[in-house]
Amino acid sequence: MKVKKAVITAAGPDQRALPLQTLIDRNGEEKSVLAILIEQALTGAVEEACVVVWPGDEERYAQAIGPQAGHVRFVPQDRALGYGYAVYAAREFIAGEPFLHLVGDHLYIGSDAESCAAELLDVAQAQACSVSAVQATRESLLPRYGTIGGRRVAGHDRLYRIETVVEKPTPTEAEQRLLVSGMRAGHYLCFFGMHVLTPAVVDILGNLHAAAPESSLKLSTALTELARREQFLALEAPGRRYDIGSRYGLLIAQMALALSGSDRAEVLARMLELLADREAGSER
Amino acid sequence: MSRLIEIITSSQPDIRNLSLDVVCRAASFRELIAECEELDRFRRHSDNLYERVRALFFLYAIHRFHIPLKSGSTGATVIPFSGYEALLKRRFEEALDIFLHAQASSGAGGALSSALAAGYRALGFQTLADQVRRSVRSVRGNQWMFRTGHPDDYPLRIRPELLDRGQSSLFPILHEATPVRMDLSHSGWSDIFFLGMDFPEGARVLNISIDLAVRGQGSGSPRPPVESYLRVIDEPVLRLTSVDLKCTADIRSIAEIFDFGRDYLGLLKAAAIASGLIPPGMEGASEPLSDVLRQLLGSPGRGIEIVSKVNDIPKGSRLAVSTNLLASLIAVCMRATGQIRTMEGGLDERDRRLVAARAILGEWIGGSGGGWQDSGGVWPGIKLIQGEIAAEGDPEFGISRGCLLPRHRVLPAEEVSQETREKLQNSLVLVHGGMAQDVGPILEMVTERYLLRSETEWRGRLQAIRILDEVLGQLRAGDVRLIGDCTMRNFEGPIQTIIPWAANHYTETLIRAARAEMGSEFWGFWMLGGMAGGGMGFLFDPHRKASAQGRLGEIMSETKRRLESAVPFAMEPVVYDFAINERGTHAEFRRGESALMPVDYYLVVAPPLLRTEMRLLPPTRRAELDRFSAACRRNPEFAGAVENLFDRLLPQSREDEGGAAQNLDALLDRHGFDRAGHEEIQANLRAGRLGLAQNRLPVNVTIRDVAPGDVVDARHPLNGSHKSIGADAIASGAVAVVSLAGGVGSRWTKGAGVVKALNPFARLGGRHRNFIEVHLAKSRRVSSEYGVDLPHIVTTSYLTHEATESYLRMEQNYGYPGPVYLSPGKSIGLRMIPMERDLRFAWEEMAHQILDDQAEKMRESVQAALIGWVKQMGEGGNYTDNLPMQCLHPVGHWYEIPNLLRNGLLARLLAERPRLKHLMVHNIDTAGVDVDPRILGLHIDSGAAMTTEVVERFLEDRGGGLARIDGRLRLVEGLALPGEEIESSLSYYNSNTMWIDISQLLAMFGLTRADLADASKVRSAVRSVASRMPTYITLKDVKKRWGKGQEDVFPVAQFEKLWGDMTALPELKCAYVAVSRLRGQQLKEPAQLDGWLRDGSAAYVESLCLW
Repeated sequence: MKVKKAVITAAGPDQRALPLQTLIDRNGEEKSVLAILIEQALTGAVEEACVVVWPGDEERYAQAIGPQAGHVRFVPQDRALGYGYAVYAAREFIAGEPFLHLVGDHLYIGSDAESCAAELLDVAQAQACSVSAVQATRESLLPRYGTIGGRRVAGHDRLYRIETVVEKPTPTEAEQRLLVSGMRAGHYLCFFGMHVLTPAVVDILGNLHAAAPESSLKLSTALTELARREQFLALEAPGRRYDIGSRYGLLIAQMALALSGSDRAEVLARMLELLADREAGSER
Repeated sequence: MSRLIEIITSSQPDIRNLSLDVVCRAASFRELIAECEELDRFRRHSDNLYERVRALFFLYAIHRFHIPLKSGSTGATVIPFSGYEALLKRRFEEALDIFLHAQASSGAGGALSSALAAGYRALGFQTLADQVRRSVRSVRGNQWMFRTGHPDDYPLRIRPELLDRGQSSLFPILHEATPVRMDLSHSGWSDIFFLGMDFPEGARVLNISIDLAVRGQGSGSPRPPVESYLRVIDEPVLRLTSVDLKCTADIRSIAEIFDFGRDYLGLLKAAAIASGLIPPGMEGASEPLSDVLRQLLGSPGRGIEIVSKVNDIPKGSRLAVSTNLLASLIAVCMRATGQIRTMEGGLDERDRRLVAARAILGEWIGGSGGGWQDSGGVWPGIKLIQGEIAAEGDPEFGISRGCLLPRHRVLPAEEVSQETREKLQNSLVLVHGGMAQDVGPILEMVTERYLLRSETEWRGRLQAIRILDEVLGQLRAGDVRLIGDCTMRNFEGPIQTIIPWAANHYTETLIRAARAEMGSEFWGFWMLGGMAGGGMGFLFDPHRKASAQGRLGEIMSETKRRLESAVPFAMEPVVYDFAINERGTHAEFRRGESALMPVDYYLVVAPPLLRTEMRLLPPTRRAELDRFSAACRRNPEFAGAVENLFDRLLPQSREDEGGAAQNLDALLDRHGFDRAGHEEIQANLRAGRLGLAQNRLPVNVTIRDVAPGDVVDARHPLNGSHKSIGADAIASGAVAVVSLAGGVGSRWTKGAGVVKALNPFARLGGRHRNFIEVHLAKSRRVSSEYGVDLPHIVTTSYLTHEATESYLRMEQNYGYPGPVYLSPGKSIGLRMIPMERDLRFAWEEMAHQILDDQAEKMRESVQAALIGWVKQMGEGGNYTDNLPMQCLHPVGHWYEIPNLLRNGLLARLLAERPRLKHLMVHNIDTAGVDVDPRILGLHIDSGAAMTTEVVERFLEDRGGGLARIDGRLRLVEGLALPGEEIESSLSYYNSNTMWIDISQLLAMFGLTRADLADASKVRSAVRSVASRMPTYITLKDVKKRWGKGQEDVFPVAQFEKLWGDMTALPELKCAYVAVSRLRGQQLKEPAQLDGWLRDGSAAYVESLCLW
């Protein structure tokens, strides 16, 4: 299964400005969040990315992409019918092929950022099925994420077979349905918006949309159905993901980038200075 | 291997179900001790819960019921105080080690066995309770709540619908209506947790969800009796309101939620915790509650309001109202936080099970407890609930045979037809008999008996299991008459075989009356829940149901009036209308105009709002009032609300209270209240000259145990001449019996104020008998044996006189042929608000039983509230805030003998019976005492003015004893001992049975027989001796009843003088005789009755009686 396409959703009503924010990446270069995401997406055999945007945002976004613009296409999301509908909006671009999917409000920062998407693509190719990146997440954060229940694939440390997907579960439900053996108490495997999906998911979304054309379309519902229909795996990613849409999310993501990049010493020194000044100030 | 260990570990049912009694009966004393040693070793090493617990109960039963009856015991030994102290502090293992060490060094005996029995029993129950808790915590879906300890970890979010107020300024309301449950048959209380966990095959219950209405109240048509409401509010507080208890509170700190005793909102708090709204792991967190609410509600400045309502169903209904209310509150909170997926309508099976598991958790947190069937109202219709064998993957697997939570199977209409359901509804009359009850001890007895497999009880259990199958069969066949037959047989057979205390005199009277009135149209009695007397069912031919409902109400009221001075009633009996609820718990989302709280809610919250200036009220509170006033105009359910609100707003008429005060004054005057004396005691109490600490003897007094020869041991054969001396004296008419019955026995009915002497406490000679009847039956036997008319005197007080007199008249002295005299009391006291100092002394300085963690927290919080109450009421003030009779107190049994002098009864007796020389005076609750010629002979032979019977001290015997104090042998009260450890070193306990030589006693008072006619001389003689007697201050619990069967218990201060202190007077010659426990033990608490019945004491009493 060769994946040549990537879909990035960025049309959420509260997150339209997020992909345009500027960060300094680990090489010290100034880039927009969208540019970083596209760089991450265009890895392995992926040649083309599609960004799902709110109608009218195309131009602003295009300016923020930078040198990769030639590989990017924009698709407007015509109706605010939820996250699932955003993915579904890219159906023509997907055109019955498997695709890498990233969300516009999360940044993944690992020891080697590009490797997570690459590893996901490798696993998808090797196993010939959908694979989602997941991270062990404390139960207090469950109200923010889609969470999986499943079991570890024999012989693979970080690979899980997904049995169920619940969007933003309560800890009560998580404990009953989403416990994965081998996890720390109170921790669950949650998505962070990086998936390789087969085109079956688009069919499922299409069916769901046809059944209730005015209702909000949830990707998690489609993923639960996907797990029922075909093999669906989860890969536990070793790095950290940052929800840049949350309070101070962008700032924290920037610090994480800086502290894992070439300017680490400089940034640390500045932060220490800041702290020391504050301490001294409070003593005075 | 030991025979008993084989029984415990065998997998074959015929060995496993062997009765302990069978094995122990045949064993010698030595063999039993050897078995105990092996069992103790076994239970320390076994890691199987069931084996450990069964071994503990075997050990308890051997020490409690078998060792004391075997010869070979070393006799009186002293129970080490350190062990007693460890027991009180719930360090059971440590206590057992201390007692076993003492047994190894000084030999086994009754006293040490009583201590070991208490230790093993308590450890057994603690092991069980710990396991239930562990299982509740480990239920999936509950575990996270114990990990969440900080607001930052808080994982729940409110459903967005509840935050959407639309056009309104108030948030929408989520409303949950829940039926209660009644059980058709519980297979011998098989819904206790341990039975389900150990014998899941036998743990089965037929349980029906019902709607109720109290007949003659409200709209009359049955509806779900339990309702809960939840909404978001614009203040960062958790606002809890109980509409029925008329109580509301704004909670701002996490600590307050875990403080259950400070108000009446404990159940709502437990629900908030068990639902995860404020997870149990947060107990002790110091962060403000608003931090948690901000996480939950997504923005600061908002809070949650929860309201509970029980539609007029009184407490003690045996319909599991409180568990279903808890479940209802938990369900509404779990819906609101998305833990239950459906916000409206019924629940699916998974969610019902989750709510049931959380309700068990809530009961544990709130310190209450019930059976696993109690949350049955969450499910719809009729269901069979049964234990489930633990399988791999269950948290119980490998620990117990069954799971904590049973399996519910709702019986479909194909199985039990609609017609049958209607027939059942048309035949059954549900009532609340009005009795106040505590089912807790019954459930412990059931556990104990199940583990011991006593022969008859085990047969009873198997029979109860068969009856459930019969009931199920009749439900399928649609024959309600035969269901009545089954439930009647169940009540008369297995239920009372397993627990005789499930029935009582009141219930039996009602059943007899129903049968007499309705004949064959009365189809059967149906005991609801744990015991009879409160909630009960009577099945009638459907065409008689309406008249039966009316008549049963009248019969209950009449019977209650007749029995109320003998049996504790909490309320007036009621008859219900009911209907089977076929949908279980059900929720509705109310928004806009329809988002109203129940009418009574506004009557609780509106008055303080109306008293506040409008401009000072927050806008949402103003909107609340607007909505209420609009509803009053337009909503028919709110008709009459304005008038009720008006009544609440205006100051209440003081007429009632004035009437009560007058009544109290009149009572005080009538009973010779000594105002000057009272004021002096009050002044001394306030000044600290009297008080609990001042009751005690000075520390420099030397207190030693008795020396050899101090006590004559009458437990062994005595010199033959004593018996003949005594027999001659009885035959010559030299003896009279005095039963002390002036008290109400506050421990017997926990301050309910009924006459203990008249309480039909046990079934003896074929029916329930009260204490007076039992004492008269013994006197009848002695009279007939010696051919005399033994005079029997019953002393009374203001509390007991009228009731005792009318009972004796009504029952014609229970057929006693000899003379029966009443000796009315001449003294009365007025209770006082205790001093904070004395409360603290009682709670902090005196040894008391530490409860389990949760109950202990509850107690601490109640104590804090009581200190507040004392300060508010005024320390040392008169206690008048209750029914007049509950404000008075008898002033101690010292006065009862002098009363015989003062009220002229002794003079009359001596005139009528010049040969009368001796009085046998005993407590009303010393059931095994009789006029024994051997002891009378000893008394006469010793020439003593007073001979006191003492018993070997067992663990439960607290309250003083026989001691050498500064060298003088005398009785000492527990109150007077400078340290509590001293009591444990005293071998003998005072049974309070005394043989008194009348002439010597009169001489001590400075009187002659002739002086008895001179009232003023007698009065001054009594006063002069009284002044030499110490005055003790004691704290007594008194109940204040209110609402629908609700009760509050307050500690009040009173004073007493005690007869035992007469032995300190040097001029009174005293002797002491040790008697067996069968004769000397006193029944102080109903919890003792079961052991009393099983250890042969009851049979012994019966052997003394001639009915």
